[in-house]
Formats: sequence, C-alpha cells, structure tokens
Amino acid sequence: MKLSMGPQHPVTSHFRFILDVDGDAVLNFEWDVGYTHRGIEKMAENRIYIQNIPVVERINSYCDAIGTTLGYVEVVEELTGIEIPERAKYLRVIAAELNRIASHLYAVSLVGISAGFETMLMWTINDRELILDLLVKLSGQRITYTYPTIGGVRWDMPDGFKEDALKRLDYLEKRLEDYYKMMAWNRTFQMRFKNVGILKPSDAVKLGIVGPNLRASGVKADVRKDEPYEVYDRFDFEVPTGKNGDSFDRASMRLKEIEQSIVILRQALKDIPKGPIKGSPKGSKIPPTAPRGEAYSRVESARGEFGYYLVSDGKSKPYRLKISTPSFRNLPALPHLCRNVPLGDIPVIFITFDYIPLDVDR
Amino acid sequence: MEDRVVEDVKASFPDDVLEIDVQRRGRVSISVKRDRIYDVGLFLRDKLGFDHIASVSGVDYIDKKEFEVVYHAWSIDKKILAALRTRIPRDNPVLKSLVDVWEGALYHERETWEMFGIKFEGHPNLSLLLLPEDWEGIPPLRKDFILPKRPQE
Repeated sequence: MKLSMGPQHPVTSHFRFILDVDGDAVLNFEWDVGYTHRGIEKMAENRIYIQNIPVVERINSYCDAIGTTLGYVEVVEELTGIEIPERAKYLRVIAAELNRIASHLYAVSLVGISAGFETMLMWTINDRELILDLLVKLSGQRITYTYPTIGGVRWDMPDGFKEDALKRLDYLEKRLEDYYKMMAWNRTFQMRFKNVGILKPSDAVKLGIVGPNLRASGVKADVRKDEPYEVYDRFDFEVPTGKNGDSFDRASMRLKEIEQSIVILRQALKDIPKGPIKGSPKGSKIPPTAPRGEAYSRVESARGEFGYYLVSDGKSKPYRLKISTPSFRNLPALPHLCRNVPLGDIPVIFITFDYIPLDVDR
Repeated sequence: MEDRVVEDVKASFPDDVLEIDVQRRGRVSISVKRDRIYDVGLFLRDKLGFDHIASVSGVDYIDKKEFEVVYHAWSIDKKILAALRTRIPRDNPVLKSLVDVWEGALYHERETWEMFGIKFEGHPNLSLLLLPEDWEGIPPLRKDFILPKRPQE
C-alpha cells in the first residue's frame, strides 16, 4: 500500500514521504520535496552582490543564518580578493559558533519531541533563548542576523558582551550534563534510538552525507579542520565522531558538538584583537563588480558543509550561483536506510538527520 | 599534492583532457571531452580518492549556445576539491549520468535536469523534484527564462 506522510505532519514539517508499506513494515521510501521552493538561485542572478546576502540567508533562516551567509560572503571575497580585518574574522567565528549551539539545541529539542520526551523540548528551547539573546546583542536580530557582510561584519561587540557570553557559556556547560542525563544516559531513550537506522561509514561517504551525520558514522570530516576558513586553524578543538552510526549517535553528536563550540568560543573571546571590523583602511568597502572567473567556498554550518559555487562574467550581478546545501546532500540517506523498517522507526530516523525543508528546497 | 592530481589525470587521459589547472590551494579544475566524462569520473573516484560528491551545477552560456555541467567532488584523504566539467550543446543537452560513479549525485542531477533541461542518460528517475508537478515551459534556470518584473512604484 502507498502511504503518504506529510506535508502536514508534526514530524515531517514541509516534507512529504511516499511510503510503500506492508502491514507495519516500510518497504520503500521516496521523497517528495519542494513545498518551500523559492528559486533563490535564480533570484541571486538578478540582484547585485550585496543585495544577495539577505536573500541567501532565507535558505536556512530560522536555524543557522550565520553559517549560510558566511559561505556566500566568503565566495564573493575570494573572487574579488577583498581582505577582511582580523577582528572581523574573530567576530564571524563567535557568531557562527553561537549560532551552531542555538541550531543544535533546536535539533535536540526536535529529537526529544519526536520520541515523546517533552521535557527535552522545554529545556533546550528555553536554553536556546540564552544564546539567541547574545546574538541579539551582537546583531540586533533574533533569527535573521545578516551579520557577516562582504569585507567584514556589520556590528562590533557591545560593551560587556564578553563577560556576559562567558557567564552564559558556563551555565550552558553545566546544563549539558543535564541533557546527557536526560538523553544520552537515559535507558528509555537508548532503547528507542540505539541500533535504529545504522548508516555505515562507507555508505555515508558513497551517498555524499555531510556534517554531524557523516561524523556520527565515524568519518572524521569537518571543514573547520580540513580546510580552515576565517581563523579556525588557531583554535584547539576536537572533532567528535560516533561509533555505530545509528540514530543514537547522530542525536548525541549534537551535544558533543555544543561542547566543542563552547571550547572554541572561550578561546575566541579571549584572543580577539582590537581593530576595525570591516573594509580596507582606505575606506573603499565593496567593489561594485566582481572580476570574471569562478570560485567555490566551503563552510561548516550547523547541519554540515555549505558549498557556494559562484561564476562571474565581470558584471555587478552573479552569472550563476549554485548553492549546495547540507540537507539536500543528506537526502539520499533516508531512502537508503528506510527499507524493511517498522513504520514507527521512520520519525526516529528522520529527525536525527536534522533536515530543514527550506534548506533542501532553496 | 594538487600537482600530483594534475599529472596523474594528464598521464591517464592525454587526449581527452581539454584543460586542467590548479585554481588555488585545494582546488583543481578538469575540463574534459563530453563523451569521456564518465571514465574520468571513475578514475578520479577509484584511483585518486575523490569519493565525496559535493555538488552538480549547470551553467548556461547562452551566447556560445552551450551548457557547462560541473561536478564538484571532494577527496576526504587528500583534502582537495576537484571540479570535473564538460560543455554540451544547448540544442542537444544530453550527458551520460554519473550516478554509477557517485551515488550521491542522484538528487543533484535530478535538480539539474529540471532546472536546465539537461538529460542525464542512465539516471534512474528523471522527474520533477523541486518544481510543482504541473510545471510547464522552459526550465527556470536557463538564461532565456526571464523573471517577471517587480511592480514599480
């Protein structure tokens, strides 16, 4: 029997799954995506470079806006050859890591609610606000920051930001133990998530899976380490990996990454130098055109690697901007995993991949 | 490291590689003849370790009446991104599918098909992915598809 799940469903959000079911067993899984398609790649061809920053931000606005815009401004900077000031690099890292924490807390909350752990949703969403408050102080916005700009960042840290941030990170670190107790060390949670949806490392690479989902399968691949952008090569942090590649590993991977983000943030807040935050010293900020050529930038956002491929014909607008998003690249995983599994496992497997419909559809 | 990749590809496909260069650290661009892209892709994956597909892009060069298809593949060991590219004529946009080489290219190729109308031979399921199911007309990312004007004040 064909069973349609979504696009109005508490777990699937704006996705629709077409499932082949026999009794309780799912035989085949097929995606139906595109409900939030906005044609951002086409829109980008009709706007000048600086106008495109808020446009591409809408790819992934409610979770990881900094990671999304960072990839775009980097690809433009690479093509135009703009140097950005040291302080701006640190501020970008700080904003990106704060956003990563917020995004991962959101992901953990969804994992909780999909399995009926409502406390997990309440706690993580509540603590996410602490981080969003910091981003409000930095950028003035709660969700869509438009913080990185071509040639730097838009705003400097306000007074007292550093102390405030460190205090909140200390609190969050203590809270992480509560999350572990509630989730990773919880027997009931383990029974529901362990050995469900095992993705082998060889399959994960073959299917092109990225981000925490790839690392949960035991493959050590992180753009921050492999191809350090901004100032990530100056920080001492680890890339956590999972052992089994099951839903439990994928879910707890987010908590481990929050730990590492706190480690990075503490170093960045300590080392941040003084100086300007955007533009060259001479005052010229953004050139109106990019030279003829092409560039490809890679950025590790919360969900994984963002790739921007920019082709320029020397005019003021991009000739072509291809955006390779992490959720889109994670799509092949579900049809691969959801064969001969019970129907009740579908939400568990789906939610641990942390898909965002906006991210897939663009 | 990047130079090694360039030399290996040149040595194995002396007649089929049209242009090959190192764009910067960690970026190699390989332009090949249209009918040999499958073999070069297989060589990149098996012999040189470019096992992780990153993106498949179409680019519409309407002035030259050509499409360019670019496969970006990342090597987890070497930490290099290879751009494997080829040009196909605009009036006959057909290319052999590389799904057998990189399984992860499945949805990327499907998207390129619906957005540019480039047909990938051997792809298991070329149907609309992101566009609405009743979509008609020229594929939207082609340059001759003009967006409706925004209302002027």
